[in-house]
Amino acid sequence: MTKASSLSDGTALRDELVPRRVRQFGSARDGLREWRLQRLTAIALIPLSLYFSASILSLATSDRKTAADWLSSPIPALLVILVVLAGITHALIGVRSVILDYVHTRARLLAGELLFRAVAVILAGAGVLAVLKLFLGR
Amino acid sequence: MERPLSPFMFPTWYRFQITSALSILHRLTGIALAVGSILLVWWLITVAAGGELFTTTHAFLISPIGLVLLFGWSVAFFYHLCNGIRHLAWDAGYGFEIRSAARSGYAVLAATVLLTAITWLYVFLI
Repeated sequence: MTKASSLSDGTALRDELVPRRVRQFGSARDGLREWRLQRLTAIALIPLSLYFSASILSLATSDRKTAADWLSSPIPALLVILVVLAGITHALIGVRSVILDYVHTRARLLAGELLFRAVAVILAGAGVLAVLKLFLGR
Repeated sequence: MERPLSPFMFPTWYRFQITSALSILHRLTGIALAVGSILLVWWLITVAAGGELFTTTHAFLISPIGLVLLFGWSVAFFYHLCNGIRHLAWDAGYGFEIRSAARSGYAVLAATVLLTAITWLYVFLI
């Protein structure tokens, strides 16, 4: 046995047994960024969503003119855009972590990931566009 | 891989605990709110579009089914909000003792009821 091969055996043992990177799915690769983003959006959503929910529940049952007037004034328009963006980001991270827990097939995970990301991007875009239309068109 | 998954362990194998029940409820309300956000954005679109689209949506929202959905959304929202603040406190390292975790759990439930009641009183009285 040469010295070189015994050395390579030693490192081979270490290489195979110690995982250097995550082989299965999991959020471990970019988990910290998501974890932090989820908390940041959560903190932002405490005041934003309280303001929004109080307004929306009384407006959802009111007529169109009241709602449109509200959405076309600057501060509500800004806050609604912010709540849509922060809320959908927060929801996407949350839904992703749920599917990571219950979907165990790589193909299904990828399909779910693409689907939920697409829905989130479309919802965010549509929500912002709707507010911008009312705000710019007044 | 046929491993038992945690929600199905809950009624059969695990004793009821306020902490685990609220943890599951946090996820459920989170998913409900994610679904509800679709309706919310839809409402924004109909306000921007106006016309027939808004009239139909408005009629649905003030119908009994619509009001029940809005009420359910508000309960889920206030629960997720209060329990989310509880989670943020845990993230910061506070309230991990079993007794305080249970106590904050009951506080979250009470706050949910209170906030929902105040909001709907406000909606109907103003």
